[in-house]
Amino acid sequence: MTTTTTSAFPSPLSIATPEGCEGWEEMYPYYALLSEDRREADEGRLWFWNSMHFPEPMSAFDVVAIDGPYYALANWQNRVFAIPPAMGIDYRIVNGYVFITPNAVTDPELIGERARYFGERAGYYFGHWDELYGRWREKMNALIAEMTALEVPELATYEEDAVAFEDRDTAFVRVLDAYNRALRMHEQMWQHHFEFLLLGYGAYLTFSDFCKSALPEIPDQHIAQMVSGIDVLLFRPDTELRHLARLAREAGVDASFSNGRSPQEIVAELSQSEAGRGWLEALEAVKDPWFNMGSGDGFYHHHRSWLDDPSIPFSAISGHIDALAEGRDTERPTEHLAAERNRLAEEYGALLDEQARGTFNELLGLSRTVFPYVEEHKFFCEYWFQSRFFNKIREFGGLLATHGFLADGEDVFQLSRHEVGEALEELCLTWAHGGPPRGPHHWPPIVARRRALLERLKEWTPPPAMGTMPTAAINDPISVMLWGITPERLQSWAGAMHGDSRTLTGAAASPGVVEGLARVVRDVHEITDVQPGEILVSTVTSPAWAPIFPKIRAAVTDIGGIMSHAAIVCREYGLPAVVGTGRATAEIRTGQRLRVDGTTGVVTLLDEEPA
Amino acid sequence: MSELARALADLRAADEESFGGKSTSLGELIAGAIPVPPGFAVSTAAFEAFLATDGLGERVAAALAGLDPDDVAAVGRVSGEIALAMRRTPVPDAVAAEVGRHYEALAAASQKRQPPVAVRSSARGEDSAEATFAGQQETYLWVRGADGACEAIRGCWISLYSPEAISYRARMASEAGPPAMGVAVQLMVDAAVSGVMFTCSPLTGDPSVVAINASWGLGLGVVGGEVTPDDFLLSKVSREVLRSTIADKHVEYVPDPGGRGTHRVAVEESRRTAPCLDDRQLGALVETARNVERHFGARQDVEWAIARTGEFPQNLFVLQSRPVTATAKAGSEAVADRTGLDTMSLVLGTFGVTPRKD
Repeated sequence: MTTTTTSAFPSPLSIATPEGCEGWEEMYPYYALLSEDRREADEGRLWFWNSMHFPEPMSAFDVVAIDGPYYALANWQNRVFAIPPAMGIDYRIVNGYVFITPNAVTDPELIGERARYFGERAGYYFGHWDELYGRWREKMNALIAEMTALEVPELATYEEDAVAFEDRDTAFVRVLDAYNRALRMHEQMWQHHFEFLLLGYGAYLTFSDFCKSALPEIPDQHIAQMVSGIDVLLFRPDTELRHLARLAREAGVDASFSNGRSPQEIVAELSQSEAGRGWLEALEAVKDPWFNMGSGDGFYHHHRSWLDDPSIPFSAISGHIDALAEGRDTERPTEHLAAERNRLAEEYGALLDEQARGTFNELLGLSRTVFPYVEEHKFFCEYWFQSRFFNKIREFGGLLATHGFLADGEDVFQLSRHEVGEALEELCLTWAHGGPPRGPHHWPPIVARRRALLERLKEWTPPPAMGTMPTAAINDPISVMLWGITPERLQSWAGAMHGDSRTLTGAAASPGVVEGLARVVRDVHEITDVQPGEILVSTVTSPAWAPIFPKIRAAVTDIGGIMSHAAIVCREYGLPAVVGTGRATAEIRTGQRLRVDGTTGVVTLLDEEPA
Repeated sequence: MSELARALADLRAADEESFGGKSTSLGELIAGAIPVPPGFAVSTAAFEAFLATDGLGERVAAALAGLDPDDVAAVGRVSGEIALAMRRTPVPDAVAAEVGRHYEALAAASQKRQPPVAVRSSARGEDSAEATFAGQQETYLWVRGADGACEAIRGCWISLYSPEAISYRARMASEAGPPAMGVAVQLMVDAAVSGVMFTCSPLTGDPSVVAINASWGLGLGVVGGEVTPDDFLLSKVSREVLRSTIADKHVEYVPDPGGRGTHRVAVEESRRTAPCLDDRQLGALVETARNVERHFGARQDVEWAIARTGEFPQNLFVLQSRPVTATAKAGSEAVADRTGLDTMSLVLGTFGVTPRKD
């Protein structure tokens, strides 16, 4: 670690509020803000922008999607498993964006004490993985079912008979109960989410470290390929779309999917013919559960499921239809992938001596045991549950709008979870006593102000990190596992902030070299703008974006590691990918010509400005 | 009379005593279906027959008797005397006849009247450092005709008495009697590209990669260190190029226009910084490296060439292969640290738990 880079990042408290964004702090909890009273502690730590999970500024309600995961992560990490050198993740919001830092344990005695807990508890999980994971799926399915069934009561002029004659709770209790229950279930989901995640990533990382010590030149991609599953649940939704595309051709209704048509137009036309109705039936048959796939990562209320926003699956279906028309095979080559996965494992194993091969095989086996969870939990948690949760909150928004507290149900996401509770309480109170409510005057101006603030904050690009570069190497296993934050990565970000912006370096995630025009996508809604043959440049790509991969020539991201789902998808499609560049979306403009070298992890900007 | 020469294809490791290490290792490569330029080996018995001609052996022994290995001037003078005596001694008829018979067989096989050949010393023993000191590394390239071959073979024998070789052997007190050496004669490969490759990483010893150094023309430039070669690192497992550095290759060796010997020429501008191997050629080299390694059951240092003529990949040849001795064993300490532990201790280590030693 060189001394020149210790001041490479700005002080957290020196970051100016963008013009016109004054007062942005009102959207966030007091504890999420930087303040004079914590200046010393906050300036002395390194905070990095978590653009992997939070690429956009947060609306007031969406803070639930910061607090939920960070409660849960810290609880499992620090209080359940007591991971010896690392407590939990701390966060701050600056200009609407989320910065995080790991809290380290440095006292050797305390580390030793924690190690005893960790060994016993983690050992139990690894020893009973399949059984515990089976129970986990039951818990998640039950939670999703409960969230789906949760009733948001209406406020009727007269309470129903059951209240009068059968001891049923009155509406105000049921409204407030349901709202609190929704929030609790959201927290429970995050609790489930992190139950296995740390141990799963840890097992994988152990295998990866072992491979790199025994075979120093092994590409990261090969390690990931040996572990990653073939029949992964997360690939099912896209597989279903490919089947639907083939079915459309077989039924002769593929012409209905011509470019630029909305799902509504397509469905309307299909329902006119028998063949079209047959196709629509096939579509209905796969919707549950596969269209619970998300269009984003579940951290924002506007990340909808395919059920809510069919434009992404329909656009993917027409892409697959075009590919079929051109005679390209759109099936995922699962047999080939499975054979390749086993061939790699066998060949690398054969290169090691007998003792090392034994360890290699055991760690590979453990990684393959834990990896289904690592790959599948997203479908249950971030996509399926989260889209149901945000839809439930929309119902409460609808209730508030019905009574004039909000102009539109969607405005509910401009209030914090506590403010929504407050508004519901006032609604229940004023509805009950019949006096004039204040909410209809109080909330709409707040909503309008915050909407404008968020629009302006979107224009601002956060630095990749702020605070003080640690003098000792960052060796927080959790930051490495979840964010790919290594000392090398921080150095390269620090260099990028001051140096040559003509090239960006990141992790070589999928090999190959291509040149092409950039398409910068910072918001999940923009992914339908991606044109065939473009290079996708985004803060992070998620498996939810799988449908656009057949269109693009390469992918570049700000954040992410070699085992991110996007990296896996790129390798499957044979697309070069460079991930974890730190600043790609800040440095690159849509239309700029790029060279992406996924073998070395270098992105070169070939034009000064977009062509 | 002992056997004087034999086709390379008929040699195996067990013949090393009679033919030297280079010839027998080429025979082994052929047996392993590795593409090696055809040729023949001259035995140590042929050298003994040469020493028996006109009392040459006795004269050499007399010249060496009582020589002080540290007297540089005296060693130089004696070396010159022996070389002169050897040059004036004809190659025995029986040896010349065998060389002629094998050379004609090569000519017939290659459908050329006087095919160019490479003539190289084939020392006993694998220790190349020792062989270098002992003057057993002589090479004559682009030699034509049976007479030319005999002359080059005698040149290899003479190299046994270079000043360095004489003083080296004199210091090795255990060495008794005259040295023994075979000679390998092979069809020349008119290389468009040539180089060396390791069947592991030369830096880390990682066995999952092949490291290839390559430059234009005959292999002398790369082996002799006159040219910075293109440097490629490929995965044995996926055949992907993991890293490559394309160098400025300013000179190359080509056959002499007169048809005998080689000379150094400047590489024209357009080829200097162009990669000298394409993906197909790299893939074939990795395949070859794996076959050579598998055949010997050990990591190898392989010299290879791709000929200007002939169809790819039939024009790719292995010129020689030696075991790799001098690389680090892959991250050996780190691996040893880990392989001693059970899986769970390793996983705990990832989370910062140092394993207890009990």
